[in-house]
Amino acid sequence: MEALLGLGQGFAVALQPMNLFWCFIGVFLGTVIGVLPGLGPAATIAMLLPLTFNMPPTSAVIMLAGIYYGAKYGGSTTAILLNVPGESASVVTCLDGYQMARKGRGGAALGIAAISSFVAGTVGVVGLMLLAPPLAKFALTFSSPEYFALMSLGLAMVVLLAGASLIKALLAMLVGLWIASMGIDLFSDSARFTFGTTHLLDGIDFVIVAIGVFALGEVLGNMEKRGEGTLLPVPKGLRNLLPSWEELKACRFAFVNGSVIGFIIGVLPGAGSTIASFISYGVEKAVSKHPEKFGTGAPEGVAAPEGANNSETGGSLVPLLTLGIPGSATTAILLAAFILWGLRPGPLMIQDNPELFWGLVASMYVGNVMLLVLNLPLIPLFAQILKIREYLLYPIIFGISLVGVYTVSNSLFDCALLAGFGLLGYLMRRLDYPSAPLILGLVLGDAMERALRQSLMMSSGDLSILVSRPISAVMLFLAVALLCLPLFRKFNSWRIKAIEENG
Amino acid sequence: MLFIEEVNKMKLRSSFIIAACAAALAAAPAWAQFKPTKPVELIVHTGPGGGADVLARFMAQVIEKENLAPVRFQVNNKPGGGGLTAMAYVAEKKGDSHAIAVFTGNWLTNPLTRAEAKYTVKDMTPVVRLVLEPALIAVKADAPHKNLKEFIDEAKAKPKTLKQSGGSVTSRDNVVRQLLMKATGADWAYISFPGGGERIAALLGGHVNMMIIEPQEAGEHIKAGNMRVIAQVSDKRLAGFPNVPTIQEAGFNIPNVEQVRGIVMPTGVSPDVIAYYEDLFQRLTRTATWKKYLDDQQFQDGFMKSAELAKFMDSFTDQMRGILKEAGAKVVR
Repeated sequence: MEALLGLGQGFAVALQPMNLFWCFIGVFLGTVIGVLPGLGPAATIAMLLPLTFNMPPTSAVIMLAGIYYGAKYGGSTTAILLNVPGESASVVTCLDGYQMARKGRGGAALGIAAISSFVAGTVGVVGLMLLAPPLAKFALTFSSPEYFALMSLGLAMVVLLAGASLIKALLAMLVGLWIASMGIDLFSDSARFTFGTTHLLDGIDFVIVAIGVFALGEVLGNMEKRGEGTLLPVPKGLRNLLPSWEELKACRFAFVNGSVIGFIIGVLPGAGSTIASFISYGVEKAVSKHPEKFGTGAPEGVAAPEGANNSETGGSLVPLLTLGIPGSATTAILLAAFILWGLRPGPLMIQDNPELFWGLVASMYVGNVMLLVLNLPLIPLFAQILKIREYLLYPIIFGISLVGVYTVSNSLFDCALLAGFGLLGYLMRRLDYPSAPLILGLVLGDAMERALRQSLMMSSGDLSILVSRPISAVMLFLAVALLCLPLFRKFNSWRIKAIEENG
Repeated sequence: MLFIEEVNKMKLRSSFIIAACAAALAAAPAWAQFKPTKPVELIVHTGPGGGADVLARFMAQVIEKENLAPVRFQVNNKPGGGGLTAMAYVAEKKGDSHAIAVFTGNWLTNPLTRAEAKYTVKDMTPVVRLVLEPALIAVKADAPHKNLKEFIDEAKAKPKTLKQSGGSVTSRDNVVRQLLMKATGADWAYISFPGGGERIAALLGGHVNMMIIEPQEAGEHIKAGNMRVIAQVSDKRLAGFPNVPTIQEAGFNIPNVEQVRGIVMPTGVSPDVIAYYEDLFQRLTRTATWKKYLDDQQFQDGFMKSAELAKFMDSFTDQMRGILKEAGAKVVR
């Protein structure tokens, strides 16, 4: 009841023409930077921050938050059409989204991404509105052992991302884990695998690896088949630009799964949207009746990670607004913004600044609708990209990738690394190594190692801390079960074969 | 009491204004010789959104809004290498009078342990020191420790059972811990977390017992009754925490580790260029916007000019070298 009253008050704030205008500017900018790889929402918000000093704080918060969730909508576009992840969380969208585009369902994939983003984004806001204080308490019970277990569960997803050979998937994952360990170690302040150069002291940015392995690897692989007419089929007619009823029906569970998993993982300050999208993809595949379709253009494979990615926004605002604890680079810069305006997110925020909290929540409902309206008509336009001939398209992808990587930290060294990872991506494709496990290892490696070392420091080296806590024990059990899944499947297929032979 | 304090403050303020005017008049001929003729590059070692970046963008905004300089100040992010990339960039801009950089304590500390570092702040010209960031030692509100002594006593009685959350092992959090442990013979664990948010979450969730926190980060948690401050890492008590003793007042005689931010620039610039920027930042620190910023962030005004800053950098580096060696870090220079 209190929430409804607050929400009413919030809509009164959010629907003021001025705030509607800023909300639109925010989501529009967010979409644009989401589409462009490299430049992420954190950097955009930081650069626009000084311009907001003269704005009323509520309008400014509404606009900056719009950039944050708007960027997640936009990120899927290049992932689906060009296999270029626009931002880190859309890597998983590449897996099935790009395959859909190759089958001529590019428009449908974009539509599913937009609808899933809308549904999950809205669910995330409902969660933020109704569950913020109790969930924030739940998030605090998560300590390093729980994070370690969560990351282990994520890493066990490798069996679901593997193609024909589990060994090859595991090898790719280990390379990802190795790359994740590069740079200065937080615990000992020593440099690992930096080969004496300062360029690697901060490790290798995830974006470089993802764009290299996915986008450049794909382009290099396709260039080989020159003259074979590899042009992607362009969807014709409105009917083919939008998802079909069957595709939407196949996604209904993915919408729910993505929304819930994304929100819960978003609430935890030590996880993030990339992990959320991997886990929801894994869950979707694990419970699917036809897991073999994943990776070849299953609509659920787009809906689940896109949903998780978007409801994570609502989740990550829970610890930020109720505890003043940022869980990601973007929420950290939002926190800095709040403080510069003289606002203090924290346990008293909802009481002290109700018009701001509820105004923000209401504006997120409005913003999600705006994004859907903004993105759906753009689909036919974006789908035209597929019409571009390959001798033009490939250089464009190279250009977008290079610029995207360069904007991450204005370093030419990173561009050289990009070339290296492009080559790696190509070789992996040629030798039939799946690239998703490499990204998975890279995303989880750092956080997982940290959580393990923190746990052991807390217990003075006693490993039982990992299994003596209930949440952690359950997640570790699930991870082991997941790892045993291929063995079980093998046994099952052997059994069926045996029965058939007998029959 | 309060009233008298207010009057004193006002007196202080008016005498400050007079002094400021006098200083401005005296300084006038010196800085008249150099004026930037094109946009000034303001180099930052973090990406957009990092602490130094937010400060730099804020300063650029104040300089523009208050019309303090004839040209714009353009923030240039040079992230990477744990700050070493930006340091090399500044050092290699020798003689450029239109490039300045925001430095933090890391610029002084990091080269000590990084063999990869090609330059130290010795390869730059100190310009001004701007802010000092004090810190608080906090425990969870329901913790048994009412003051620092009780915490230390328990850590002595039961070694390695208490835990502290903090940043990297070379951060101030750990340096203060090392100093306290050495002075008292107590022993507690130090658990590194990369982000401030995770450190706070670990404390509030009861997974660690203590943390060193910035006052501005702690404010809301104290008000909401989730956290209790048991000591301050500062030379004098902060205005917001008049009843909490500093570490030294609590009876632990360890040197204070300053967390600083300020401005450096490349070497090979003439003295009037340095004087110009010294004066510019002095005028910046006198604006009401700046003072409000310091209040909001609960920073202390640590203004210091070039010559004094050079001495400070030397003594700080020596102090840190000693502490890091003591803590078992591999010091390379």
